[in-house]
Amino acid sequence: MVDILREYWLLFLVGQYPNGPLGGLTATILVAVAGLLLSLPCALILALARVSPYRPVRIAAAAIVHTVRGMPFLMMIFWCYFALPLLVGRPLDGFVTLVGALVLYESAYLAEVIRAGIEALPPGQYEAGRALGLDYCRTMTRVVLPQALFNSMPSLLSQFVSLIKETSLGYVISVNEFTFAAAQVNNQLLTKPVQVFSILALTFFILCFSLTQTARALERAILRKRAGTPESQILSTEADA
Amino acid sequence: MIFIENVDKYYGPYRVLARINAHVARGEVVVVCGPSGSGKTTLIRTINKLEPIRSGRVVVNGHDIHAPKADINRLRREIGFVFQQFNLFPHMTVLNNITLAPRELRKIPREQAEDEARALLKRVGLADKADAYPAQLSGGQSQRVAIARALAMSPQVILFDEPTSALDPEMVGEVLAVMRDLAGSGITMVCVTHEMGFAREVADRVWFMDGGVILENAPPEQFFTTPEHPRAQRFLSELRR
Amino acid sequence: MGYTLDFGAVLTGEHLRWLLSGLRVTLELTASSWILAFIVGILLVLLRNSGSKLAEIGVAAYVEVHQNVPLLVQILFWYFAMPELLPEPARIWLNERNSEFILVMLALAFCFAAYISEALRSGLRAIPRTQHEAGRALGFGYLSTMRHIVIPQAFRAAMPPLVNYSLLFFKNTSLAMAIGVHELTTQTRQIENDTFRTFEAFAVATAIYLAISFLIMAAGAWLERRFTQEKR
Repeated sequence: MVDILREYWLLFLVGQYPNGPLGGLTATILVAVAGLLLSLPCALILALARVSPYRPVRIAAAAIVHTVRGMPFLMMIFWCYFALPLLVGRPLDGFVTLVGALVLYESAYLAEVIRAGIEALPPGQYEAGRALGLDYCRTMTRVVLPQALFNSMPSLLSQFVSLIKETSLGYVISVNEFTFAAAQVNNQLLTKPVQVFSILALTFFILCFSLTQTARALERAILRKRAGTPESQILSTEADA
Repeated sequence: MIFIENVDKYYGPYRVLARINAHVARGEVVVVCGPSGSGKTTLIRTINKLEPIRSGRVVVNGHDIHAPKADINRLRREIGFVFQQFNLFPHMTVLNNITLAPRELRKIPREQAEDEARALLKRVGLADKADAYPAQLSGGQSQRVAIARALAMSPQVILFDEPTSALDPEMVGEVLAVMRDLAGSGITMVCVTHEMGFAREVADRVWFMDGGVILENAPPEQFFTTPEHPRAQRFLSELRR
Repeated sequence: MGYTLDFGAVLTGEHLRWLLSGLRVTLELTASSWILAFIVGILLVLLRNSGSKLAEIGVAAYVEVHQNVPLLVQILFWYFAMPELLPEPARIWLNERNSEFILVMLALAFCFAAYISEALRSGLRAIPRTQHEAGRALGFGYLSTMRHIVIPQAFRAAMPPLVNYSLLFFKNTSLAMAIGVHELTTQTRQIENDTFRTFEAFAVATAIYLAISFLIMAAGAWLERRFTQEKR
């Protein structure tokens, strides 16, 4: 296994670069980070829509979330593969499609995490803000969201781990991320699938496991800091496949 | 100052407030008492529209609180509210809890707001707690901060919703002392409480409620010695046991 | 755009047969991996609580591995690497049958089992020790206490995550496409390639996934209600 690593490490790490776009593990990490950074604001808006005082907004947001969560991520990737170039007006790179699909899909899941964080706060917090004369916007931005987002951090981190795992589906649309790079190495070697795919699995494991452990440590730290806060407000980490 | 006219409120089929008519004059201290479920908390929460009403009017300082076009946020600046569960903002220091509304809503500059906040903290006996977080305070200290927070907006009237009911007995005294001091300062107060000693000492009027109706409305000397309504008599005799 | 919708092309004749066969494979895959996953998941929980420190660590490692490696990678591992690790007779047996289906089913089942065991474990942990004590105080033996008092409550507590995971793994059957199993998503792409009716094909498939997802969630909600009523 070590020989394979020594021979093919560049392919694993950056794909065909510089003879092609940046690929491999680097691409996986870049796609995941881009996906997270772009979906957080969308998720925030969607979460606020989910708890909005206006019924049509709530219903529309619920419809979006339930539709996205009811379909496989692979299906979302195909939708983006075909529909995004049409919407934008020109052909799109596989990477863009993958990031787009991730953003659309993960926004719905992250929105639910944030929504749970908002709803876990005691209603008295919102009431106290309004009773002081703060309007809805100010109460949400100064009182509710800071607490809800802080309490949701372990869950958000956990969802980021799912996001990283989902990038592997780039393989199916031939996006040269880490899984695809490993499959390419396997195609070249042909006789060492166990070693190649073990490298793939092990790398993902190290990456995701360390993030999961960070999320758990974060959860414990938050519980300790908010010594006065009831545990029910801190959302526990629940991983997705 | 406060006019409550023919107020009706329902929770589904239950009539929780039935044709309430009452009046609080400027500078008066009114104590609202009665058994659980009598509607006293609901009534006080209709004064600043934390609860809506089915019909009737609540007029505070010349403004109809429940009018559809009313700028409720503006009106709430003049009405202070102290919650049973304190509802301090755990993610802010004590000082910031108090200065949040004056700075955001009255646009008072930070230095001035903090000076005024420190003065208020001194008044409630917590001058040294300005930089503490709510989690570090005891119940009695938290409630006194909550009172300071309500006072920071220089409201025309302060409403108290069972301010001592969530406190351990040994801390009730310190909060009542602050409230007694406030009453002496001439501010209009409406207070829902079970602390009859406080009512006797400080109230100008006592409203006794049961079943969503104000059954008795009298000065404390009269209420505590010769209550008219049989329910009131029963309530007081239970207390004396 | 000059594009007229034509669902007929997708929903008739040969294409309809493709669609239905894909749906059938998806459902078969879901059902078989679900059953195996539950059996393995329950075994994992029993192993973990057996008292052996080695078993505890082993199960914990199993769970961590399966939760931190992408499911697609696990599927690829089962398909490309696992046959190398199996003895010759097993390999022949697999090749005689539908090896893709079996391998992806195993991959799904063993991954799902890890999540099930975690849900059951947290369900058990949610039951306070005092429930055990109450049962023993009444005179129930250890197994009886578990059977009558603890496990029913633990199961009820574990149900929301279990329903969620069931939904997740139903959707994850689509990953079988990566190794050529003709489930619903694969068939949809076939139809799309054949008819060029991209939107209609995917719309129908999405609707099918949504419908079944909804059914799973409704079943979960019904089960939860039923359990709650029993508790009275």
